[in-house]
Amino acid sequence: MKGYLSPAVEVRRLARLVGAQAEDLAYFERLEGQAIRDLRDQVAVVMFDADRQLLQRVAAATKLIPVKLGAVIGERAFGPLLCARITGLLDPSRAVEIAQHLSVTFLADLCLHLDPRRASRVIGEMPPATVAAIASELVAGEEYITMGGFVGHLSKAALLAALNAVDDESLLRTAYVIEAKQNIGALVALLPDERLDDIIATASSADLWIEALDVLGHVTERQRGALGDLAAGQDDEVLDSMVRAALRNDLWSEVLPVVRAMSPKSRKRFAALKSIQARPVLATIIGAAAQDSLWAELLVLLPLLPITARRQVATLATAFNRETLERVISAAYEEELWPALIAFATELDKGPRREIAKLIDQSDTDVLQSLLSAVHDTGLEADLVAMIRELPATGQRHLGTRIAAAPPELVDALTAAADEAGLRPFSEALHS
Amino acid sequence: MSQDARRILKRELGGNVPGGLEELTEAELSGFAATLGVAKRRQSEELEAAVDEALEILPRLLRRPVRKILFG
Repeated sequence: MKGYLSPAVEVRRLARLVGAQAEDLAYFERLEGQAIRDLRDQVAVVMFDADRQLLQRVAAATKLIPVKLGAVIGERAFGPLLCARITGLLDPSRAVEIAQHLSVTFLADLCLHLDPRRASRVIGEMPPATVAAIASELVAGEEYITMGGFVGHLSKAALLAALNAVDDESLLRTAYVIEAKQNIGALVALLPDERLDDIIATASSADLWIEALDVLGHVTERQRGALGDLAAGQDDEVLDSMVRAALRNDLWSEVLPVVRAMSPKSRKRFAALKSIQARPVLATIIGAAAQDSLWAELLVLLPLLPITARRQVATLATAFNRETLERVISAAYEEELWPALIAFATELDKGPRREIAKLIDQSDTDVLQSLLSAVHDTGLEADLVAMIRELPATGQRHLGTRIAAAPPELVDALTAAADEAGLRPFSEALHS
Repeated sequence: MSQDARRILKRELGGNVPGGLEELTEAELSGFAATLGVAKRRQSEELEAAVDEALEILPRLLRRPVRKILFG
């Protein structure tokens, strides 16, 4: 979801810029969000350039007029749209002074038409109390898209004031449409855990998991883990509602990275949820992992599932083709998740298990060495041998010969496991 | 994307048409170009009217210097 721009949101922004109804421009929703934003950027320049000279002269003339009178003229003669066009041309401190004499309703209306990028310095100098009052007004009008455009331009103090003025539901809706998504992490960092807890509970009660999971997709890995831990600390009902939302809205590609970032304890709690253990749910989880290559995310979750759920996954995995299994192995290698892969393979049917053994036999030396080192460190020799058992004798010999050059203690441990399992071709090759 | 509609939009945008709009029909592109044209004209008219009204609100003493800045 990273970098994703909602076409519907971008259409609303574009429509506001040209004074149209979003419904009249609905045909733009067929396009990529970025294409609509590129067009909007160009339209913003055109709208500004159309009257640039006169707008600049009005801004210059403002310097001659007392601040209070400037506010009166702004509100009575120019109105919110034209004031929005002029704002970025004013000296920021003068603009702020004038704003102090404008009604909050007028300022909120002005914000609807303001391009924050053109008035960033003015926005940055706005007093926190004024920003909070405007935020409340915008929330009352459900103007989340407008509010989302201001994050990244406000001072820290003003952002804090706005956060305190906005309820949890509005905050989630705003975060979802923030224009500069890279600022979400900084915004989350300003919120205390108690507030974040409440926001997660709100995501459940107001069914705003799409919004909440989008936020989780734009924070740092550490924040994602911390928020995941907070979510895992909530009642079952909260987590179950997330599972239902993920199932209904195809959100597993957003959920799985959160589960991976959680602490082991939280992950265990998540894995124990009854709601994720049903076969259709597991099937959609695996589907998402396959579609977005989230195998590492899946591998950390699988060993924690109860045995019945793991069996369901193993049954679903019989449909994995060679290419898919290759990706699973790559994820295990790249993310050092060999024990999880071996545990997963142990529960698979013979077919996919044999395919994994073959892929290991054909893997690069680096991959094989990484696997062997992990097996030795975790004492999983017997489990690896159980997988190698699925190879034909020639395969066992080939792999044994490749492993023979490994450190003696590892070769000895594997030989012992192979002998115990009666894998003579493999055992003999290890000492070739 | 029709060349005619593209040309009209390009004129309204005062430069190039950004990429990614290829899926739009000629009617949609023309329609948007018209909307943009109307928006620009409306803004110019409203700005001129606002300037006139502002001058009316200003105290007489300020009108002359402000008018000088606005109209030279």
